[in-house]
Amino acid sequence: MPNETSPAQGSDAEAILSVRDLVVTFGSFTAVNGTSFDLFPGETLAVVGESGSGKSVTALSIMRLVELGTRGKIEQGEILFRRDNGEVVDLVGLSENEMREVRGNDISMIFQEPLTSLNPVYTVGNQVAEAVQLHQGVDKAEGMARALEMFQQVRIPDPEQRLEQFPHEMSGGMRQRVMIAMALSCDPRVLIADEPTTALDVTIQAQILGLMRDLRQTTGAAVMIITHDMGVVAEVADRVVVMNQAEIVEQGDVYDLFENPRERYTQALLAAVPRLGSMTGLDEPAPFDLVEMETVEMKQVDS
Amino acid sequence: MTGLFVNDVEVEAVAPPGREALRLFFRNRAAVFGLILLIFMILMTYLGPSLYDQDPSRIIAIPLEGPGTEDIPAFGTDYLGRDVLAGVVNGGDTTLRVSLVATLIMVLIGVSIGAIAGFYGGRVDTLLMRFTEVFQVMPGLLFALVIVTLFEPAWWKVAIAIGVVLWPSLARLTRAEFLRLRNLEFVKAAQAIGTSDFRIMFRVLLPNAMPPLIVATTLGMGAAILFEAALAFLGLGDPNDVSWGYLIGQNRGSVLGGWWTVTFPGLAIFTTVLSFSLIGDGLQDAFNPKLRGR
Repeated sequence: MPNETSPAQGSDAEAILSVRDLVVTFGSFTAVNGTSFDLFPGETLAVVGESGSGKSVTALSIMRLVELGTRGKIEQGEILFRRDNGEVVDLVGLSENEMREVRGNDISMIFQEPLTSLNPVYTVGNQVAEAVQLHQGVDKAEGMARALEMFQQVRIPDPEQRLEQFPHEMSGGMRQRVMIAMALSCDPRVLIADEPTTALDVTIQAQILGLMRDLRQTTGAAVMIITHDMGVVAEVADRVVVMNQAEIVEQGDVYDLFENPRERYTQALLAAVPRLGSMTGLDEPAPFDLVEMETVEMKQVDS
Repeated sequence: MTGLFVNDVEVEAVAPPGREALRLFFRNRAAVFGLILLIFMILMTYLGPSLYDQDPSRIIAIPLEGPGTEDIPAFGTDYLGRDVLAGVVNGGDTTLRVSLVATLIMVLIGVSIGAIAGFYGGRVDTLLMRFTEVFQVMPGLLFALVIVTLFEPAWWKVAIAIGVVLWPSLARLTRAEFLRLRNLEFVKAAQAIGTSDFRIMFRVLLPNAMPPLIVATTLGMGAAILFEAALAFLGLGDPNDVSWGYLIGQNRGSVLGGWWTVTFPGLAIFTTVLSFSLIGDGLQDAFNPKLRGR
């Protein structure tokens, strides 16, 4: 259920992040084709779409990580970020050094795989402290103190002991909490979460989503959550951007979109969510019907 | 014992951290034997000369007296009548110093070049790997010979020559490890918090690449000792430094008439190289228990 207390997006609010006409290519393949959307302070924006629709590439482009290692290229477009002091910078034009200052400090990112997102050779406390040390110019002890504070904030039990543990000594849910603690340790103004719950089981998913919702309220960071799970969207998002085949199909308020999806693709995406109870009366589990975009009919949601 | 406890997700096998590896290492009998051999050789090299205070270059008796002869030191005398035991005891210092410095040079060049090539990839990688191949295709011993003969022999020049010959294999290994690790999620996560390339290479990737590199370095130490011995045998070391290889080279004419003159320095080389091999194998097993085919 969408959060009623979520800060309303004021019409006069200025976007903290504006992506304008972004085109990203990998060789001859266009992964993102002319995407434009805004992210406003304090809101949660969900970017949804199937695998390969360009969601993650969009996120990596905002961090300017798409060019590193993966050989992607931002061909055109602007990624306008509004700094604390109101100054607007185009992230696409920043040098690698300037970008490094932005990463982790102004814009943070958490990844899909909590199992592999932490460095196996350092204790988790060390890794969170490292992020703090990088941006705040503090020493190790202060970094660790901040890490402890963050562990308490993301509700890791026994935070003092947990600081000393290695990633492999923690469960997936705990590791994702550590990732969130690391991402939020420098009070970023934008948090990008790339499928933060996909690798977790359902009960842990609910915990992590609840945690992210609470943290957004306490820190005031704008959150951009990437997912293919419509349940997650309904749970946390204020607004939704639907992507398909490198382009934005539809964007709008989460209530409007769920109640009245305009585009055929959005209708198909919503119809593809299995319904609870649809197997009632069957002796054995059966595969769900395939949803075809051409023939999709919206299911009636019982009130 | 701390196991891999996991309650909500299945976890992939994780390489045991240092402590666990150390425990496995000490359970491996061959490796512990290697370690004991190495400690013995080190003690002999650094405490031996003061316990057995004899000048290895002084002529003390008639030449080529075998061990067990009355009034003759335990390992006999060489072709000039010098004390073989004193030579063995004093020869370790040069051998170990040269091979240690050579190994350091190998690690410095090999890891840097491999790390940069593996991390940046693309054209940088191609260029650095071609450069590495140039060194790799040169016959090592001949190349070291040329370097040493071009300059006045000194122990550190020998060390540089050996290091320059040995680094390519380590560079290739480092590159391979970095290529494997570079695309893992935690590298992206480190970049996402604003870590610099240098820190990612040496603080994020390198510690994860350590296990195979430690093994290769240990084995490289053995190779460096053999190289040093070969160069000294050919008389290309510093003639003022006694080393095991130099002793064998000096006495190569008397192999038939005085087996002890070459056997004891040879045994010293053999023992030291063996100890490094056993330790290297032990480390390999400890870091990667899956590979243990027993």
